[in-house]
Amino acid sequence: MEGIKEIKISNRRIQEHWTGAVLFLLVTVIVNIKLILDTRRAISEANEDPEPEQDYDEALGRLEPPRRRGSGPRRVLDVEVYSSRSKVYVAVDGTTVLEDEAREQGRGIHVIVLNQATGHVMAKRVFDTYSPHEDEAMVLFLNMVAPGRVLICTVKDEGSFHLKDTAKALLRSLGSQAGPALGWRDTWAFVGRKGGPVLGEKHSKSPALSSWGDPVLLKTDVPLSSAEEAECHWADTELNRRRRRFCSKVEGYGSVCSCKDPTPIEFSPDPLPDNKVLNVPVAVIAGNRPNYLYRMLRSLLSAQGVSPQMITVFIDGYYEEPMDVVALFGLRGIQHTPISIKNARVSQHYKASLTATFNLFPEAKFAVVLEEDLDIAVDFFSFLSQSIHLLEEDDSLYCISAWNDQGYEHTAEDPALLYRVETMPGLGWVLRRSLYKEELEPKWPTPEKLWDWDMWMRMPEQRRGRECIIPDVSRSYHFGIVGLNMNGYFHEAYFKKHKFNTVPGVQLRNVDSLKKEAYEVEVHRLLSEAEVLDHSKNPCEDSFLPDTEGHTYVAFIRMEKDDDFTTWTQLAKCLHIWDLDVRGNHRGLWRLFRKKNHFLVVGVPASPYSVKKPPSVTPIFLEPPPKEEGAPGAPEQT
Amino acid sequence: MSRINKNVVLVLLTLTSSAFLLFQLYYYKHYLSTKNGAGLSKSKGSRIGFDSTQWRAVKKFIMLTSNQNVPVFLIDPLILELINKNFEQVKNTSHGSPSQCKFFCVPRDFTAFALQYHLWKNEEGWFRIAENMGFQCLKTESKDPRLDGIDSLSGTEIPLHYICKLATHAIHLVVFHERSGNYLWHGHLRLKEHIDRKFVPFRKLQFGRYPGAFDRPELQQVTVDGLEVLIPKDPMHFVEEVPHSRFIECRYKEARAFFQQYLDDNTVEAVAFRKSAKELLQLAAKTLNKLGVPFWLSSGTCLGWYRQCNIIPYSKDVDLGIFIQDYKSDIILAFQDAGLPLKHKFGKVEDSLELSFQGKDDVKLDVFFFYEETDHMWNGGTQAKTGKKFKYLFPKFTLCWTEFVDMKVHVPCETLEYIEANYGKTWKIPVKTWDWKRSPPNVQPNGIWPISEWDEVIQLY
Repeated sequence: MEGIKEIKISNRRIQEHWTGAVLFLLVTVIVNIKLILDTRRAISEANEDPEPEQDYDEALGRLEPPRRRGSGPRRVLDVEVYSSRSKVYVAVDGTTVLEDEAREQGRGIHVIVLNQATGHVMAKRVFDTYSPHEDEAMVLFLNMVAPGRVLICTVKDEGSFHLKDTAKALLRSLGSQAGPALGWRDTWAFVGRKGGPVLGEKHSKSPALSSWGDPVLLKTDVPLSSAEEAECHWADTELNRRRRRFCSKVEGYGSVCSCKDPTPIEFSPDPLPDNKVLNVPVAVIAGNRPNYLYRMLRSLLSAQGVSPQMITVFIDGYYEEPMDVVALFGLRGIQHTPISIKNARVSQHYKASLTATFNLFPEAKFAVVLEEDLDIAVDFFSFLSQSIHLLEEDDSLYCISAWNDQGYEHTAEDPALLYRVETMPGLGWVLRRSLYKEELEPKWPTPEKLWDWDMWMRMPEQRRGRECIIPDVSRSYHFGIVGLNMNGYFHEAYFKKHKFNTVPGVQLRNVDSLKKEAYEVEVHRLLSEAEVLDHSKNPCEDSFLPDTEGHTYVAFIRMEKDDDFTTWTQLAKCLHIWDLDVRGNHRGLWRLFRKKNHFLVVGVPASPYSVKKPPSVTPIFLEPPPKEEGAPGAPEQT
Repeated sequence: MSRINKNVVLVLLTLTSSAFLLFQLYYYKHYLSTKNGAGLSKSKGSRIGFDSTQWRAVKKFIMLTSNQNVPVFLIDPLILELINKNFEQVKNTSHGSPSQCKFFCVPRDFTAFALQYHLWKNEEGWFRIAENMGFQCLKTESKDPRLDGIDSLSGTEIPLHYICKLATHAIHLVVFHERSGNYLWHGHLRLKEHIDRKFVPFRKLQFGRYPGAFDRPELQQVTVDGLEVLIPKDPMHFVEEVPHSRFIECRYKEARAFFQQYLDDNTVEAVAFRKSAKELLQLAAKTLNKLGVPFWLSSGTCLGWYRQCNIIPYSKDVDLGIFIQDYKSDIILAFQDAGLPLKHKFGKVEDSLELSFQGKDDVKLDVFFFYEETDHMWNGGTQAKTGKKFKYLFPKFTLCWTEFVDMKVHVPCETLEYIEANYGKTWKIPVKTWDWKRSPPNVQPNGIWPISEWDEVIQLY
């Protein structure tokens, strides 16, 4: 300040002073500006600007889909699609999003769905339309894709043999010229917007039955639309925020992403009065079958008495889409980096999942174990709530399972009825913490042992004579067709016709009679009142059982030793029930329903119930068929 | 002409510089006021009455949590202590409005509440409502430590701390998570890069400097300053836990690396030993906890925890440490009643005390008593045959909680120093032959017991 005064006073020798003053002032100005900048920064740090809130938003991970503000330059995607006999690939802006040149794999029509605003891959499927029914799956899928999305199709090897009219009509409606006319071993590449214009198509006809069409490479530009156009305008709620995040990422889940009438993602089923399993954790074991997981979680969250915060989904692998499904329903998801291969990998995944479940819920005495390919009955938790005390009170029990291996449409009848069985059915079951922590976990098969966890659990060293409680009518339904030990034929033969309870709030009958001693009394009572069937008739014939209803019948079959299941296996085969190994037995006794009658089968003389056989009756003996060469091996149930 | 011009320029420059000076002053004042703003208004707000910022913030927070069914309870040590001192008064004031605000109006920066996460049914959306009510909230999350022990799991992060600010007062909501071993755990409050360091005076927080472990408190409902809150049934027990609550996690990653190098022993014998050792440790912990005697994992058991997060299968015994000042004469009797008869007793309370108890299946429980000197700690050893005494020296240490075989137990916080003293720098390499008189690097000969004392200081059963 002194300097300023000095400047004011000095009139002489202005020239020199002037330069000095200017210099001085400049310095003052710079110092001032710097000070202003500094204090500004300090203030904005100390102050409650809106900035920290934004930061915290990020911390929360509430990632709103990126919105492009204003009308920025319209972007264009550069898409390449290749179709040939042995290789297909799709590249978007130079990034390969699909490449398949594996031999004997990936035959059929590959479909990719891109987000029209971001260009992200939202779904990737292959439909082997050389084989039957795959075209139906494709139609189902394409119909689910939201309008406006970018669809890319390309054929590998052969895609026309079972491509039926419905599918062709759908391709026509998408604007495709070549798709509806796709012929034997043609190559075909297609890019179009669903419900909008075709953006490119190439096709090459196969010249002869024994040869393929020439490889085609389609290069085309796909204009991107604005994010607003690509999104629905749902009300801004917590639920819809989850929905929006999900729907901007993945495709193929149908009405959950419908703009007009989206299907709910919160179900709030009626609470269960006096729910004994409200605080029992539920572990859902999943792989990379997100559509299955979606269906599974829907049914689980709709079951009466479910508590969503007890559910944890364990995903075997770093897969994004299953995690997206989990997040859609607001559940806890945990990913597991694979350690081992095939069966051992599943087994290690099970171990990690079970350990984690009991760690996350240290107070829980039990855990419910489910898999991603199960439908859950509406009274699943009600069934467990009524029966779980048995696990606490009866040491001779190994598990409670929702699944009856022998409960088919034609062999199960009574949803209020429970059995004790010596086998471990899995597929929706309750595990005791003490059993896991003290017995199973310490000696769980190590990764180098390529064992199925369920087979291992069924081994006598583990099961040690203990039994499981099962319902006559299953509370879970196994819908998985694609799986490690699963294929379409196998599923159709052994799982499709399984009975599944759909009646809510079933009151289980006489649950305490399932305890060890009480059950023997019950079985003896049943056998005493059972009518002995005519053993001269063929047990495989329908007429073996009279056309009555509500009766109890008993048949005696030959069973020399505890492990002699020759006749039983043949009987199971002709009854069209599970015959790949022995399931559902209790001390040489099987219980099922035939023509609405309770049907008991006793193995003589191995079963202690053989005493109930009248002396005049000769046990039935069925001979196994002569071994065929190359008979298909029996896949294991998982 | 040129002179006038120059004068004009001069005047202009002077004006500009004066303007800048004014700016400077203005900003400086502004800067000062914001910097000290919190402090100034705090001292203004600390009037004893129901319009204090503290009371209003707490009231609003309790309104919010009871509306949203967030089951919070008060854990603020300062206020719990006050409540405890005036407990009769708190009990007597029923729902009627009290005359004076005594607890929640005490000047302070934070009020700490806690929440058991597994009881919280509707976490989603809670935040937004808090913000609509005028709170400014900050949330920290981390990966779930309960999954750390399991190979290669990663999942949904869990919330650790919420800090919600209303005007100048902030509510610190500590999220407790249930852990195996029947205790509650809270995480370390770690601020991410982008978080405003001056959001609240973080350094003054009572919780979150370290992860912590607490007994699961029973709760009771009380009316404090006209507000209904849940507090621990035994508030002082909780308050006393606070300074000693620091928790350290087992080093699961290193343990996995260890097992990759040396492979785990999963033979039937190893599984059986681990099971018996675990049961013995659980029994010992139960017995000592009942007596109120603090103990920690020592020697081989501590090494097993630190190196492999498990019991070393060939160690053959379980080792515990106890400070000699915590010694109680009924320890031996209590162990006997628990089914663990005394096997031998070496030394005496004044010098080198060591007790051994016989557990089931030939597993032994060794209890070493530690003596504190000015710059180190030590425990003693005695050779039964010769009456020779040994001394094992350790650098000074404090106790931390950890989780070991589904139990909350103490270990030395300075574990590495403790283990290196006992096992040397090569503790990472498994050694199956160990001579307790010669192998430890911290062993010193300590003379010999006079024969006249042998009956007392060498007791074998």
